[in-house]
Amino acid sequence: MTTATAQVASGLESGTPRRGILSRIVDRLGSGAVQVIMVLLGLFWMVPTLGLLVVSLRTNKVNGAEGWWTIFTKPAELTIQNYANLLGSGFTTSFWNTVMITVPTTVLVIGIAAMAGYAFAWMDFPGRDAGFLVVVGLLIVPIQIALIPIAALYGNTGIFGSIPGVVLFHVAFGLPFAIFLLRNFFVGIPASLLEAARMDGASEWKIFVSVVFPLGKPAIASLGIFQFLWVWNDMLIALVFANTGNQPMTKYLQSQMRQFGSNVDILSSGAFLSLIIPLVLFFAFQRYFVQGMMAGSVK
Amino acid sequence: MRKGSAAAILAGLAVAVAACGNAPTTTEPSASGSAAASSAAKPLQGVKLEVAAKWTGAEQKNFEQVLKAFSEKTGAEVTYASTGEDTGAYLGPRIQGQNPPDVAILPQPGLVAQYVEQNALKPLTPEVVQEVDTNYTPYWKDLGSVDGKVYGVLVKAAHKSLVWYRSQAFDDAGVQAPTNWDELVKAAQTIADSGTPPFSFCGASGWTLTDLFENVYLSTAGPENYDKLSKHEIPWTDPSVATALEKIQQIASKAEFLVDGTSGTMQTDFPTCVTKVYGTDKAAMVIEADFVAVEADQAGAKVGEEAKYFPFPKAGDTTPVVLGGDVAVAMKDSPGAMALVQFLASKEGGEVWAKLPGYLSPNKNVSPDNYPDELTKQLGQTIVSAGDAVRYDMSDLAPSAFGGTDGKGEWKVLQDFLRDPSDVKGAQEALEAEAKKAWK
Amino acid sequence: MTERLDGRQDPPALKLAGGSSPGPAETPRTRLRLGPSPAVAIAFLLPAALLLGIWVVYPIVYSIFRSLFDASGSGFVGLGNYMTIFTDQGMLTTIRNNLIWVVVAPIIVTMLGLVFAVLTERIKWATAFKLIVFMPMAVSLMAAGVIFRLVYEENPDKGLANAVLTTFSDTFASSQGYPEARPREGDQSPVADQDGAVVTKQPAQAGQPVLIPIVGVKPEIMPANAQPAQAAGAGAGVSGTVWFDFTQGGGGQSNVVDGTEKGLPGMTVEAVGPDGQVAATATTAENGTFAFDGLAAGTYTVRLPQSNFEASYGGLSWLGPTLITPAIIGAFVWVWAGFAMVLLAAGLAAIPRDALEAARIDGATEWQVFRKITVPLLSPVLLVVFVTMIINTLKVFDLVFIIAPASVQPQANVVALEMWRVAFGGGNNQGLGSALSIFLLILVLPFMIMNIRRFRRGES
Repeated sequence: MTTATAQVASGLESGTPRRGILSRIVDRLGSGAVQVIMVLLGLFWMVPTLGLLVVSLRTNKVNGAEGWWTIFTKPAELTIQNYANLLGSGFTTSFWNTVMITVPTTVLVIGIAAMAGYAFAWMDFPGRDAGFLVVVGLLIVPIQIALIPIAALYGNTGIFGSIPGVVLFHVAFGLPFAIFLLRNFFVGIPASLLEAARMDGASEWKIFVSVVFPLGKPAIASLGIFQFLWVWNDMLIALVFANTGNQPMTKYLQSQMRQFGSNVDILSSGAFLSLIIPLVLFFAFQRYFVQGMMAGSVK
Repeated sequence: MRKGSAAAILAGLAVAVAACGNAPTTTEPSASGSAAASSAAKPLQGVKLEVAAKWTGAEQKNFEQVLKAFSEKTGAEVTYASTGEDTGAYLGPRIQGQNPPDVAILPQPGLVAQYVEQNALKPLTPEVVQEVDTNYTPYWKDLGSVDGKVYGVLVKAAHKSLVWYRSQAFDDAGVQAPTNWDELVKAAQTIADSGTPPFSFCGASGWTLTDLFENVYLSTAGPENYDKLSKHEIPWTDPSVATALEKIQQIASKAEFLVDGTSGTMQTDFPTCVTKVYGTDKAAMVIEADFVAVEADQAGAKVGEEAKYFPFPKAGDTTPVVLGGDVAVAMKDSPGAMALVQFLASKEGGEVWAKLPGYLSPNKNVSPDNYPDELTKQLGQTIVSAGDAVRYDMSDLAPSAFGGTDGKGEWKVLQDFLRDPSDVKGAQEALEAEAKKAWK
Repeated sequence: MTERLDGRQDPPALKLAGGSSPGPAETPRTRLRLGPSPAVAIAFLLPAALLLGIWVVYPIVYSIFRSLFDASGSGFVGLGNYMTIFTDQGMLTTIRNNLIWVVVAPIIVTMLGLVFAVLTERIKWATAFKLIVFMPMAVSLMAAGVIFRLVYEENPDKGLANAVLTTFSDTFASSQGYPEARPREGDQSPVADQDGAVVTKQPAQAGQPVLIPIVGVKPEIMPANAQPAQAAGAGAGVSGTVWFDFTQGGGGQSNVVDGTEKGLPGMTVEAVGPDGQVAATATTAENGTFAFDGLAAGTYTVRLPQSNFEASYGGLSWLGPTLITPAIIGAFVWVWAGFAMVLLAAGLAAIPRDALEAARIDGATEWQVFRKITVPLLSPVLLVVFVTMIINTLKVFDLVFIIAPASVQPQANVVALEMWRVAFGGGNNQGLGSALSIFLLILVLPFMIMNIRRFRRGES
């Protein structure tokens, strides 16, 4: 089953010319039918997002009267007014808050998890295996469990509502996955490289910085993009821990949700702006994204 | 009201009002040469305050004008934080996190008692209480008090016993504004016959349904029963509740009375139901408070010409007047917080606000002459005089789990009732069950 | 995305997908005698241990204690909060919804992912297709919620889902009638509603015009060609007028054809004999008049059959109380199908062709090959996808919160959302909130244990 790795490495680019049995079953449907079905499915997946884009480019009055698909007959109704209105409103602040929360979180998670991952992979200490099993267990702990206790803790320490509070929460809950991913990757580094460095008397820190970290780049890239997207797209943690002044886009948009009908202008344009950066990242780094998703996995 | 265009309109109105010469807010502090000279008289120079309230859009801009007046007077720097519609959900974590805003404006007096119980509010200082005594009738003062201590001040009032209608729809059907419930039902039938659905309900916004119920109940059961039900001294299974629900049934159970049918109604939130009357001209009436004016104006209907209202028709022996309001409370015991609450309770603060659209003051010393139009003046007088049959919004006095939470308590049961108006008894039992949970 | 690719949930995928790491065959621990002292290891682990200890482990312990106390935290209630979870009506709906989610959503996502994975092997533009289907994974669930709120809008002029449904149904049966038009209520009206049709109360007499007044005709359905209504002439046969009996601005007389009132053209009118059979059919003219030609003498009731009043199909109430959970599951599938597809496509590609060819040579049918070889070989990946989806459905929060309108939130509620609402919205009941979060933890516990087991097996 070594082919799996090759396939994984190729990410979304399915270059395999081979045809499986399943595909032969499908043969009976006729190639033309499959093409048509796939085009329809593709459209089905794309159209909702396109709809959001068109809605965001029309005034509330127009959106209130007709569906976005009428745009094909009346392209003149498009306007960027909704986006212009967002500038200078609370949305702009929330955009920067999202950045201020996401970037430090991603950096911290990578740094801290890489250190721990290296220790779990290449250092010998009592309780190593048990410790790692704990990390594996923590992988799926629901965030909800920490909301009440951490709100109380933040209250006592005075960081409630601040950006650092939100960041630390994200970092902690991002760590199990990050440690897991990086440890599994670091384990694959050829032992000879590390042994050579240790023979040369390099300190562990030096080895970590100049050998392990550079070699771990593909995994770190995967982790980075994942972590970035999770935090960028989070709503629950922000909902509880971010004050109005520090709230990210998701919370800002959520607060407009109760009056969906009359806030479609803000919501559609805001939602679209919020998904542009993840989409760009996704298309630029989709290979890492998929690798991250499957890293060290499919057997 | 969250729309930029509306904000622009109202900001425009505000500027126009200010230009008339009596708004202190036009003075740019930087432009005023006396800034340095007056700083000595600013006791709170350098103090930073945060105030949280539910308002966004135009309402927020108006409130910020009031805050600006406060800043100019005292030198304190006030930031405004919008809680969104669900003030409880916003303040909950902040109270839990011991990081509340200095001052909060609560949309329901019921929250005052709840937060006092959680030790989240600070009693107002004697100076502030004195200000309240000067400007408010005992009725209004009591709404902000718990166990004899004053914690909050009603800073903004709402007149909830109005039915707004589109005059064109009434003209087309040839009907007049009804004065009692039977006339209302009859007019609704005629309007439906003319081809226009008479009512636009805001089924997705539970509070609009409680407002409707309260008006009918106050009218049919009378003020005494209303007070008892407010405190849950009589159960919701009381026959008086059945009478009120049956009245609502008369207008809610006919498919031709509801714009977009029952299902569409249940997905319509508050400002959208106004738009269905004034923006897209689909329905004839919407039953809600004075602040519909702001939404109607935004939808392009001229208030007083196209957008008119009549008092909530008598469904029983009492002409109902149900009021609502927002309560300012201090969540930190600081001189700045107290000074801000005092300012909001003062004649001075109230008059700054009264000149802006969409505001009614419960402060008896705020002269009605400050209101921007005739209509608001009339409503303002009703509120200040607060006669015998005037009652405060019942659901807002209740614990918020019963009277102020999405998907819970009275909101949920009334939504279920609107969805299936045939089961009065079931609705009553559900209400009583929810009330028992909330009052314990 | 917290809800999906989130570290808290996705990892099982990675984990279960196969315990073994991509590393060398020998595990490092056997040969690492040269490593640093435990003190150095602890230094490397310290930041992570601190964060995990304070933010993840301590809250679990705290929540267990807190869940035994009441809302304010001062009164000990034992298991009272847990009792509430299983007795309260609203809570039971919530748990029922979670059950529906767990049963339905993972199956749909896994099946769909498999179908997509198979189909992509058949097209040249597989990469493009995969990108499109996978894309929602990058979008926040908040934005996905807004997207689907728009799709599910009930009005078919605005909501895509209903626009598609109504377009389909209109192709088969188009309605140009008078939906919602009806006879006026009350005894004075000469016609009455009968099972959706409008019939005259008195038998029609030849030579005496039949009046069929109709009200409630919406301006937008009034045909442009309608002319002012006219009373039918007193001819020999049965004739009459169907008209919109409402004078614009009021003042008209009920049940009388007033000057300005308009006829309702295109209405189908039937003359029904005493035996209940339709004896003749006519269609109204632009001024609303109709006449039955060649009708034998006798007594007839005149009927406007229901078909005149049928409303065109308006689609489904996606955001109503009955369909809300399926509708949100639809959005969930949209988000997650790509994940399943990509994992399964990789799994499919990894199946050794030799085994399949051998079976085929032995005379196995394609279906047998699929059932007996492909599915078993694919089962580890199928399981990964399936389990990941179960965990995600247990934690679903954002989509429900955003898509369900306030009035149907109770009907759409799920445990993760209820926990937030109970603890931080309205009531601030941290005791019950803690109990709910522990309940949620218990729900995912079997998968946590399963993870650990699989990992250990993979490592050894």
